[in-house]
Amino acid sequence: MEFKLEAHRIVSISLGKIYNSRVQRGGIKLHKNLLVSLVLRSARQVYLSDPCPGLYLAGPAGSPTPQPGEPAAQPPAGWGEPPPPAARAAWPDAEPQRPAVPDAPQAGDAEPAATVTRAGAALRGRNEDTAGAAWGRVDGPRVAAAEGVSDASSEGPPAGCLRAREGQPGPVSRADCRRAPQPAEEEPCAPPGLGPRKRGAAGPGGGHAGCPAPCSTPLKKPRRDGGEEDAEEEMETGNVANLINIFGSSFSGLLRKSPGGGREEEEAEESGPEAAEPGQICCDKPVLRDINPWSTAIVAF
Amino acid sequence: SRYRKKKQKRYLLPDIISTVEFNHTGELLATGDKGGRVVIFQREPESKNAPHSQGEYDVYSTFQSHEPEFDYLKSLEIEEKINKIKWLPQQNAAHSLLSTNDKTIKLWKITERDKRPEGYNLKDEEGKLKDLSTVTSLQVPVLKPMDLMVEVSPRRIFANGHTYHINSISVNSDCETYMSADDLRINLWHLAVTDRSFNIVDIKPANMEDLTEVITASEFHPHHCNLFVYSSSKGSLRLCDMRAAALCDKHSKLFEEPEDPSSRSFFSEIISSVSDVKFSHSGRYMLTRDYLTVKVWDLNMEARPIETYQVHDYLRSKLCSLYENDCIFDKFECAWNGSDSVIMTGAYNNFFRMFDRNSKRDVTLEASRESSKPRAVLKPRRVCMGGKRRRDDISVDSLDFTKKILHTAWHPAENIIAIAATNNLYIFQDKVNSDMH
Repeated sequence: MEFKLEAHRIVSISLGKIYNSRVQRGGIKLHKNLLVSLVLRSARQVYLSDPCPGLYLAGPAGSPTPQPGEPAAQPPAGWGEPPPPAARAAWPDAEPQRPAVPDAPQAGDAEPAATVTRAGAALRGRNEDTAGAAWGRVDGPRVAAAEGVSDASSEGPPAGCLRAREGQPGPVSRADCRRAPQPAEEEPCAPPGLGPRKRGAAGPGGGHAGCPAPCSTPLKKPRRDGGEEDAEEEMETGNVANLINIFGSSFSGLLRKSPGGGREEEEAEESGPEAAEPGQICCDKPVLRDINPWSTAIVAF
Repeated sequence: SRYRKKKQKRYLLPDIISTVEFNHTGELLATGDKGGRVVIFQREPESKNAPHSQGEYDVYSTFQSHEPEFDYLKSLEIEEKINKIKWLPQQNAAHSLLSTNDKTIKLWKITERDKRPEGYNLKDEEGKLKDLSTVTSLQVPVLKPMDLMVEVSPRRIFANGHTYHINSISVNSDCETYMSADDLRINLWHLAVTDRSFNIVDIKPANMEDLTEVITASEFHPHHCNLFVYSSSKGSLRLCDMRAAALCDKHSKLFEEPEDPSSRSFFSEIISSVSDVKFSHSGRYMLTRDYLTVKVWDLNMEARPIETYQVHDYLRSKLCSLYENDCIFDKFECAWNGSDSVIMTGAYNNFFRMFDRNSKRDVTLEASRESSKPRAVLKPRRVCMGGKRRRDDISVDSLDFTKKILHTAWHPAENIIAIAATNNLYIFQDKVNSDMH
């Protein structure tokens, strides 16, 4: 859904802001960075709660827009059922009439409002359990994603980054994992809907294996210096590397590195601001390395 | 119409104005700017010779309050921008004010000198020592009038009290203490003591990764020297009583409006952050400003504000763009008039808004050079969102978001307002139909 596109764009913009704040005169502004990190977290939640990440996202050439009138556009052949309405579960009652991010005048935002409204209508009446189920379902493949990062880079040209990475539904924090598991059968869009997204060669976790068994596989999270892996909060920094997985194989260079590259943002290259360009889905590697600052900007104090 | 103001004067300052504050009588108006300068304006007494001048403001004094500094330990530059100025109540012939940047608060004393001693025995007119052999008689030096000279000197420097960026200062009604607030802590100072302060609020979490909320503004109650309020980035207000405990982390009252779930968006949290809080002159109410609204709170009711006014609700659908261009982080201030019947706040396109609490009428005015005749009457403006459009309406899409009025001030007693529009200071005075009180 375009929420995911918008969420991704907002994540990119937010990361750019955090990156830029580090070089601003007067030092890091705690208040602003906190607000940006809250937006980042919200956008990430929306992004992750939509189990079909790559559907509307293409390379810079332009996005495939959903057909108007479809509550959730049909995925390309081989994708199985349409994604569950859980995409909007992040704010269950929110905005069927008013999308979370209404106004971005970007290429790829041309999705007709009708789609939004109808998607919202489909979502109305969903409750939080949906979200839980969504989290539960995506957790399995996520593990595969975490482990199979190196394979992602073989997925396709960086220009088609997100499409190539579609197989990865997105990581789920450990906290969400614990909240999870509802049998996928609750959802009209059953796990098999997820499976095809992982597209064949997508990684060792490919196929449906992970879906019905949320949280059953041990979680391999990138280690951070502090090692606070037990934190349950949304702002838990270990998810940073999972964020990297979301954004696809254009960050293959980054993915090749060990996920623990979190704290080394000091070495980051200076091309961060490029990532904040509106409309660009693929961010440059150095900015992605600085995903960490969205939390460490605060920790730095 | 009662809302029309006569534009009186416009000053072009050398730098972007970052704060505006009248003193307690309204005779003086201080501005701080991004370059660390303070410019003080003084109101000329009304003169019979020029009845139309009606007590206009002229430049009284200019001085450099803060300079850029460098914190070598943390490798970061400390901006010289003046965040806030607060006047002390006048206790003698001199005026005093506090000015602060991100880290350091300074107490400045402003004195006038209009007489000069002449006729020293040991020094000549230029101050050079006289050759004693030429001194044949003794004389008593006398004071002779001279051109008025305004002297400003830093009396106290309150440094090293804050790890984070200072966002507000507030002088206590006891005239002896004041507080300074940064993102996570509030300190209480004695005006005469610079080497120590008392921490009265500390919301820093043990683990910074747990941080969810920061302090955005704070103010002492105008009459009760033990009470103060601070606002947060989550949109809440906390009233604290210093008599209750040394550390006021536990609030006496928490003012918070439940969020409207139907208006939730990515940016709900940002737009609910309170950018300014002001007690009414009566001390009975508080005024808060968040990104889209101003709210009046009754100290006796914590559950919700008693009044909410939409400043520019047409921006609600544009929050994403405003996030992109950083406008959503703009911190607008708000102000009460002397009788607490009208509230004022700034907006974009050099517009500012006034809300009459009694009649519930509101008006949008523009601070611009175009309406530049000294006695011009300001015309109310209107922003249209499509649909029916009148001739002089501005459409939402043609608003200039670089022209923002963040800082406004209202004379404590009269209908005189000071509006800071980037580098320009506008002083508007209402002499006709001054029935806004």
